[in-house]
Amino acid sequence: MTQHTSYGEVHGPRAGEISRRGFMRRMLGIGTGILSLQFLGGTIAFLWPNVTEGLGAEITLGTAEDINSAAPDWAQGLPYIYNPARLFVVNVPAGKARVAQESGGAVEAEASLPVPDPGEDVLALWRKCPHLGCQVPQLCEFSQWFECLCHGSQYTILGEYRAGPAPRGMDRFPMRLDGDVYIVDTREVESGPPPGTVTFDDREPGDMQHCAG
Amino acid sequence: MSDGSGNRMTRWLKESTVWRSLFRHGVPRDRRTRVMAVMSNVFLHLHPVAVRKSGIRLSFTWCMGGLTFFLFLAEVVSGVLLMFYYRPVIEYAYQDIQDLRAHVTLGILREIHRWGAHAMIISIWLHMMRVFLTGSYKPPREFNWIVGVFLLVLTMLLSFTGYLLPWDQLAIWAITVGTQMALYAPLAGPESSFLILGGIEIGQGTLLRFYVAHVVLFPLVTAILLIVHFWRIRKDGGISGPV
Amino acid sequence: MTIEKRPNATADKNAPTQAPSEAPLAAPGAGPKLPGPPGVPGTERFRLLAYVKQESMVRVDKRPDETVLTWPHLLRAEFVMLMLMTALLVVVSAFIRAPLEEMANPVITPHVAKAPWYFLGLQELLSYFNATVAGVLVIPVYLGGLMLIPFIDRTPYRAARDRKLMWVFFLCLMIGGLIITFIGSFFRGPSWQWVWPWEGLFFTL
Repeated sequence: MTQHTSYGEVHGPRAGEISRRGFMRRMLGIGTGILSLQFLGGTIAFLWPNVTEGLGAEITLGTAEDINSAAPDWAQGLPYIYNPARLFVVNVPAGKARVAQESGGAVEAEASLPVPDPGEDVLALWRKCPHLGCQVPQLCEFSQWFECLCHGSQYTILGEYRAGPAPRGMDRFPMRLDGDVYIVDTREVESGPPPGTVTFDDREPGDMQHCAG
Repeated sequence: MSDGSGNRMTRWLKESTVWRSLFRHGVPRDRRTRVMAVMSNVFLHLHPVAVRKSGIRLSFTWCMGGLTFFLFLAEVVSGVLLMFYYRPVIEYAYQDIQDLRAHVTLGILREIHRWGAHAMIISIWLHMMRVFLTGSYKPPREFNWIVGVFLLVLTMLLSFTGYLLPWDQLAIWAITVGTQMALYAPLAGPESSFLILGGIEIGQGTLLRFYVAHVVLFPLVTAILLIVHFWRIRKDGGISGPV
Repeated sequence: MTIEKRPNATADKNAPTQAPSEAPLAAPGAGPKLPGPPGVPGTERFRLLAYVKQESMVRVDKRPDETVLTWPHLLRAEFVMLMLMTALLVVVSAFIRAPLEEMANPVITPHVAKAPWYFLGLQELLSYFNATVAGVLVIPVYLGGLMLIPFIDRTPYRAARDRKLMWVFFLCLMIGGLIITFIGSFFRGPSWQWVWPWEGLFFTL
């Protein structure tokens, strides 16, 4: 401790205490940090897209009858292509029956064709390939699989991964029945099932002819 | 006007206050005025007044850094000109690009912009090769190497965002594949895709986002990093020469 | 190198003050030793200014690099390159059209969907590995690795002969990248199947 004539006694902060200057400096730093974070958060929040129609919103598909009249093959198991949201609307019982019929007995299914109203058993598969985003075409007529022509990924009619470079099965959206009207909620994408998920159609890629790959 | 009066005019002009406020030194013919020319001009002042002879040999520098910078400037100029004709709206964008070719005088500007962009990626890559092979990232230039890597990434981002703007099949599918690949990186989930694309998939939101990023955001960041890059070259001892 | 330390501090301290009063240097050896004319034996005095390590001694023999003025030497080179590049760009642009396909249609996927060419190496890699592995490995490791180069290679040498390992490593990386980019660009067709360039070129700049 030093004695100064003009300033009196000068002493630093006691042990375990912080000096006023140090406190101010730290507060300034913390304040700047908070401000930067707020700026960053605000920017991201501002740029966050709020989708109100089309893909990213709730989409009303209509009743089973509406779909049947738009796509007569739906009851025969052929997935209905809903273009505004790039969806395959799969009539699951009819689809399974179709695959069983086309595979010549290699796959078994409970229902038999046609199934005009599958009730709750409908799947909304997103046609964007989880590999690199190409559009997955309609079922391949030989294999009864979805086969992406870009890079050769292959999926069953339930969108389960079978072959190719994709990391998982086809992504999908939750589907619900409001009365008898089908509504797809495209606000949140459900990731496809991981490779190795086999709930139906366990044929190997080598078993049949393909459209791609 | 006779010769005499012409000379008098020139002399009068050169002795006027206006002229002398613009040009502080004579024609750069001797050593002193040449040094002055580089020192007193803000753009030429990017350079030191003298450089190592071995450092500017073509076989050593490959001229690639300078060429990349020149291509950046060429992209800025041609890009600003293209902006006068292009609307980032999915109904118009494709038509605008077609019109650029068919109805605009000197309609090769889009070509200049596109080929220039490809050339820039090649030249920045060669520049990086040269800097590595000559060991020019060694202390004290480590930081500048990192700035350079950022500039490489930005160059690719600039090219990538520009790729979407013609809004043709080539553009949207290349960008679909490209963004999907980028999302394989760790920590990049569907949320970041949603933010980048301005929606669940490529559409109007994406076009506008890519446009703004392409014409304002990335060029600005690139320009700032270029300033840092050039400043650091000077501060770290000028352009590196052979050992 | 021989360095003689000065004998003692007092002699040195006295030297400048005594010098004017003493007789001029006509008689060397008389009085304290003063700095004498070079070459006259017995008159030099040495002082340790700095200790120079052996390995940096090489620099002493080397003549400083020859410098030239920026104006005109560097500026001329830059100007010529600028002109050449401009000419090349204009000529290429006048003769080669930028590609433009049909208007974008998210419903129709072309049979060949490729990223811009500088990402085709990455796309090729993604087709070999499990996507997550490749994504995790390639992008961060490649970029992070590039940024870390100055901190990995800590040797002070810059000449190629002193950095053989780094050269080989870096060139392998770069040439490897070039090769897979090349494969992705020219040897891949629909369904990302192998296609020889003469069977069909699926590449657009």
